[in-house]
Amino acid sequence: MKNSGITRRNFLGKAAVAGAAGIIVPTIITSCSTKKSKEVIMPVMPEKAPDGPLLKAGLIGCGGRGTGAALNFLHCGPNLTVTALGDVFTDRITSCRERLAKDGVEVAEESCFTGFDAYQKVIDSGVDIVLLATPPVFRPLHFEAAVSAGKHVFMEKPVAVDPVGARQIMATGLKAKGMDLSVVTGTQRHHQHDYVANWAKVQEGMIGEIVAANCYWNQSQLWYRNPDPAWSEMEYMIRDWVNWCWLSGDHIVEQHVHNIDVVNWFTGKKPESAVSFGARHRRVTGDQYDMFSTDFIYEGGFHVHSMCRQINGTEGNVSEWLQGTEGSSNCQNAIWNKAGEKIWSFEGYKLDEKGIMTDQLPISPYDQEHTDFVTAIRTGKPINEAEAVATSTLAGIMGRMSAYTGKKVTWDEVMNSELKLGPDVYVMGPVEIVKTVPVPGE
Amino acid sequence: MVKRRILLWFIPGLIVGVIFILGFDRAVEATSTNDFCASCHVHPQATSSWKQGVHYATQSGYRVSCAECHLPPKGEGYLVEKTKTGLRDLWSHWTRDSADFDWEAASSLERASKHVYNSTCIKCHENLFPAKLTREGSDAHLYYNKMTEKGEELQCISCHLNAGHYMKDYTHGSNKSFGLAGSRSDTVFSAPAIVDSFASFTEQVPGSGVTFRMIALPGGKFTMGSPDTEMLRKADEKQRETTVDSFFIAETEVTWNEYMEFYRQTATEGRSTDTEGARLNKAGVDAVSGATPPYGKPDQNWGMGMRPAISMSYHAAETYCRWLSSVTGKKYRLPTEAEWEYACRAGTETPYFFAGDPKGFTKKGLFKSRPDTAVINTYVIYNLNSHSRTQEPSAVKANPWGLRNMSGNVAEFTADIYEGTVEHVIRGGSYRDDAAGVRSASRESTRTDEWLKTDPQMPKSIWWYSDCFYVGFRVVMERNEELRMKN
Repeated sequence: MKNSGITRRNFLGKAAVAGAAGIIVPTIITSCSTKKSKEVIMPVMPEKAPDGPLLKAGLIGCGGRGTGAALNFLHCGPNLTVTALGDVFTDRITSCRERLAKDGVEVAEESCFTGFDAYQKVIDSGVDIVLLATPPVFRPLHFEAAVSAGKHVFMEKPVAVDPVGARQIMATGLKAKGMDLSVVTGTQRHHQHDYVANWAKVQEGMIGEIVAANCYWNQSQLWYRNPDPAWSEMEYMIRDWVNWCWLSGDHIVEQHVHNIDVVNWFTGKKPESAVSFGARHRRVTGDQYDMFSTDFIYEGGFHVHSMCRQINGTEGNVSEWLQGTEGSSNCQNAIWNKAGEKIWSFEGYKLDEKGIMTDQLPISPYDQEHTDFVTAIRTGKPINEAEAVATSTLAGIMGRMSAYTGKKVTWDEVMNSELKLGPDVYVMGPVEIVKTVPVPGE
Repeated sequence: MVKRRILLWFIPGLIVGVIFILGFDRAVEATSTNDFCASCHVHPQATSSWKQGVHYATQSGYRVSCAECHLPPKGEGYLVEKTKTGLRDLWSHWTRDSADFDWEAASSLERASKHVYNSTCIKCHENLFPAKLTREGSDAHLYYNKMTEKGEELQCISCHLNAGHYMKDYTHGSNKSFGLAGSRSDTVFSAPAIVDSFASFTEQVPGSGVTFRMIALPGGKFTMGSPDTEMLRKADEKQRETTVDSFFIAETEVTWNEYMEFYRQTATEGRSTDTEGARLNKAGVDAVSGATPPYGKPDQNWGMGMRPAISMSYHAAETYCRWLSSVTGKKYRLPTEAEWEYACRAGTETPYFFAGDPKGFTKKGLFKSRPDTAVINTYVIYNLNSHSRTQEPSAVKANPWGLRNMSGNVAEFTADIYEGTVEHVIRGGSYRDDAAGVRSASRESTRTDEWLKTDPQMPKSIWWYSDCFYVGFRVVMERNEELRMKN
């Protein structure tokens, strides 16, 4: 390791000491002819959030991820609690409430709200923080309401299913900035120590200028639910939400946004156009595809191949890959030079009982993102990830639009698109939308 | 001793220096007060509109003064601009009477952008996303941000022209009530005019009281373009012999009265279906779907009525012709460039359809501060007599063939593509043009991107230009076969 940079140990140590202050690491870009020094500002990632006055959070969307987010929040530092819950379904509230009770957090009956307007009641219940974890179609509305009420927001990705929603997130994020509110967005790789360390190396110029990238989320079938005669169509769709485009944005947005976001983050750029293939082969319910393959052309002209698939019995891969003029990176724990020799690897993983390095991080990124969130609030140094996640979400939407139509879609088109998915009003009952699976071309 | 001597000089020097600096600072302050501004800028209208405006009685109680908006922030070219405007003001003070100034024209967007600075707006309004900003406002400011990131400069006053001075009826949001109010005439025509010979006639628009004159022009041969010897000509005016068939052409540019009838009969409310694809397929003869509501005031608050309609897109002008054809049962369209020039020249081969040469009508050039504009003033609305806005057709005399405002007032769309581009040719020049731009041979082209620059809507309107107020159009009507046989 010839590089001056930052080893994980000393940057973690320094970060802990420096508390909230960002560490500026001046380095030299090694790429081509320009030998300008570049400052890489490392994010602050303390092990625990500092103490402070009690912070009360309200959770909107009490499913698995919502409950998980609430627990991550509760564990990230002292003097944190959850005082209100909201969901469209009572059974979700009940299960979430029971789970939180196991951790000693009792949410009062009168602070549990159900229905499509539950979000506003949670926001108005006297909380300081709102955790948003409903299906993404509701995110722009909930985020806007939370920020208007002056709440700090943790929200899950993705943040929208259509361009209208993504723009609403961008604008609301800028409002939050003006109000010094913190917004953290569930793109947890930004808070994952191996990714952050690799990002710093790439920013320092270890792989030179980025000339191409790949990103993948290929996995087996996700999950689905069959209709129940006791449920209205709306209730069924929401319970089966990862299979309906208007609720999830399709899996290129819902899941693969993570990987597109990593490429955006590492390159500091966004795609300018997309040409996608996509199809539905084996999905059981809903109107979504189960595979996408997209050729993004990024600002500056380099290509990024993105692929995602949710089909059983197929090759799995969830990762990213960057090719630079001087080497390549897997964005996580390794960097190679042009000859293919590993020139950097992440060494901060947990050791097992024999002292051999595992692939487990000492701090899970799901905890770390809340630690960073609460630290930002308590130290008065707001962080705001809204625009970045909205940009990545919109990139996924662009890929989806191209696959559905078979046409090239540009950033300007998607940025100016009036596409808005889903019904105009949310009520339990039949859902008046087109439910056919899109077929590209004529 | 030497030290003393130095001190002896140094101390008075320091004192003089300090006094000079303090004095300079004082002088800068003293010459930037509202009273000082008003001592030369005798413009009661601007003063009262400032006092009625939002920056005089702000919610916070802070009162924004003249120099705060009309000079850039200190440290960002403040002294340079102050010196420049100061010298200009002094010159005007000595040489001109402030009563002669056209203060109203100075408040038009075009002129205002020369003495209002974005940097000044941003200096106070550093947060463009205040908590109470509406969703429409958020969209517009997001658009501003994205354009600025791309390096495109947008003016704050493009949307907030009334920020400094109150303007009656000004709006910058989606103007949904546009065209809904307004007096309808008592006469309502049930049928269009019948044309049974090739002679000028008055068209009447069924379902309304709107009429306009159509002049019959027998076809002929003429020389299009200008000779190399013509003063102030441009290279794109190459001369060529051209023949046009007989046609009818409107006596005036399409007025707001005419255009609003189209808007009322065809306008669609929402924007949800306002996408190019959806519209183009639907726009049949029977049901022409027309413009969506504009943003702000398409008439720029200059008044409507008989003034030429402006701000409409080329697409909207074409749709207007299609609509007019369907309600009158005739064949209306935009003129070809040749038809336009043939009609404008009206048999003349000179720079204008009246006597005079371009250099005699311009202020540009050395020692040309008072050109003799008596003749051109009777025929053309252009930069020296327009007060920076359109005027009614009755303000000028017709050309030899009875057509008004062929030159000046608003430039007019033609059906032709400007060579080497995808833009259309526009002809005739406008109220903004100098004498050179209103010559019979002068040509320009549409500039679609530029004319939509500040439109914050997503997608941008296909019906209204947000940044073009000097172009309108005139309709022509083809002679049908029956008339062709008769003549």
